[in-house]
Amino acid sequence: MDEAKTAANTHVPSSSFAKEIEAEPGGEDIAKCIQCGMCTASCMVASVTDKYRPRKLIQMILLGLREEVLSSDLPWLCMTCRMCEERCQEDVNLAEIFHAVREIAAREGHIPPAFKNAIDVVLKDGWMLEDAYSDFIEDDRDDLGLDTELSWNKKFVAKLKKKYFKGESTK
Amino acid sequence: MKEFALYAGCTTPVRLPAYEASVTKVLEKLGVKLIPMKDVNCCGAQYIESVSHTAFAAMSGRILAIAESMGRDILAICGACSGSLKIVKHELDNDEKLRAEVNALLEDEGLKYTGTVEVKHLLQVFREDIGYDAIKAAIVKPYNGVRLAAHYGCHVLRPPEIVHVDDPENPTIIDRIVEIAGGVAVDYTGKTRCCGGPMLGIDEELAGKIGTDKIDNIRAANVDGIITACGFCDIQLTQVQFGDGTEGKERIPVLQLTQFLGTALGIDAEALGISLNKISPEHILAMQ
Repeated sequence: MDEAKTAANTHVPSSSFAKEIEAEPGGEDIAKCIQCGMCTASCMVASVTDKYRPRKLIQMILLGLREEVLSSDLPWLCMTCRMCEERCQEDVNLAEIFHAVREIAAREGHIPPAFKNAIDVVLKDGWMLEDAYSDFIEDDRDDLGLDTELSWNKKFVAKLKKKYFKGESTK
Repeated sequence: MKEFALYAGCTTPVRLPAYEASVTKVLEKLGVKLIPMKDVNCCGAQYIESVSHTAFAAMSGRILAIAESMGRDILAICGACSGSLKIVKHELDNDEKLRAEVNALLEDEGLKYTGTVEVKHLLQVFREDIGYDAIKAAIVKPYNGVRLAAHYGCHVLRPPEIVHVDDPENPTIIDRIVEIAGGVAVDYTGKTRCCGGPMLGIDEELAGKIGTDKIDNIRAANVDGIITACGFCDIQLTQVQFGDGTEGKERIPVLQLTQFLGTALGIDAEALGISLNKISPEHILAMQ
């Protein structure tokens, strides 16, 4: 039986997805969550939008709603500000858990376009802002006595792209 | 003279060169020399970090290994970069398998991570390497009671057990330097909350709401300006004051800690790039 599919369709509690997260780097502490909601109460994202609730997202993982979580944008809305982690009484590292979720989602081809674009830029240029570095900014740097030659390395990211970003994630 | 390898990151050199220049000049005045790192890459924060933990560790790991080859500890001036480099250092120091994988990737460049360099954020250099007494002794043009709100930056402060910068719930380094320079450090609601910067690339509307909430809280404390120590936070806290719904509201200048401190140390405002600040801090500088 396709357990993940069944869980997603029927919302039957299942811990197999939580176990999968536990096995990822950063996901180790998910089982410590007692669903107290301190994370949501501390979260600036939750304070400005109704769609994002970190406690609920953790609950969805604990319930095994694998496909629902992996295909959603919600795990990508965490700013990793770690205010929730600072307040969590059980030492649950939510930012790390959501990174683990994102990594699994990415492997299965679910990367929000904004992330995908930024990742493609970094893997091409070696840094984020090559296209934004204009002559005007170069002049400002010169006036301030700073190097105008920024000398970013592109070769290393090309190597990483070849080794770690085959297939879906870097079309 | 103490020397650090400067890792300026992606954002600061392009979006906020005045921060890079003011850091370099202020630290030099206080006896710390910076050697800009060459041939580096992005630290991998947020984007690569989200999709491949190993590639992220390799990107920050390479920066750490280059600093080792320079024989210098790293100064990182952006919250995201300092956070990434410290987290990856922590992992490479504690995970032999990851370290071996990263070192295999670095081998053909003659680089190797062995764990000999430290990573410091600017605030740590002020507190640990320069010290409050030396800063105080170097003030030649003190401020006269200017009221300032400190914004520290999430990735500068958290996770505290790895970054070791300041008390994450009640940080004091910026506030102390504000007071040493003759200003009044003003507390406000949500001081350690995020500026919304990391949301900018994902959902600009949400990022704007989070930043505006911060600005509203700061405004309620009746301050003359905001002092930051992260390029990304500076950019976000400035630009949310130009978005929808800000018409007619007085804008609160955002100053880098090094710009604020620099003029008090007698460094020329032009050399600190203050004329490049999008919200003029003239009235702050007039209180000297």
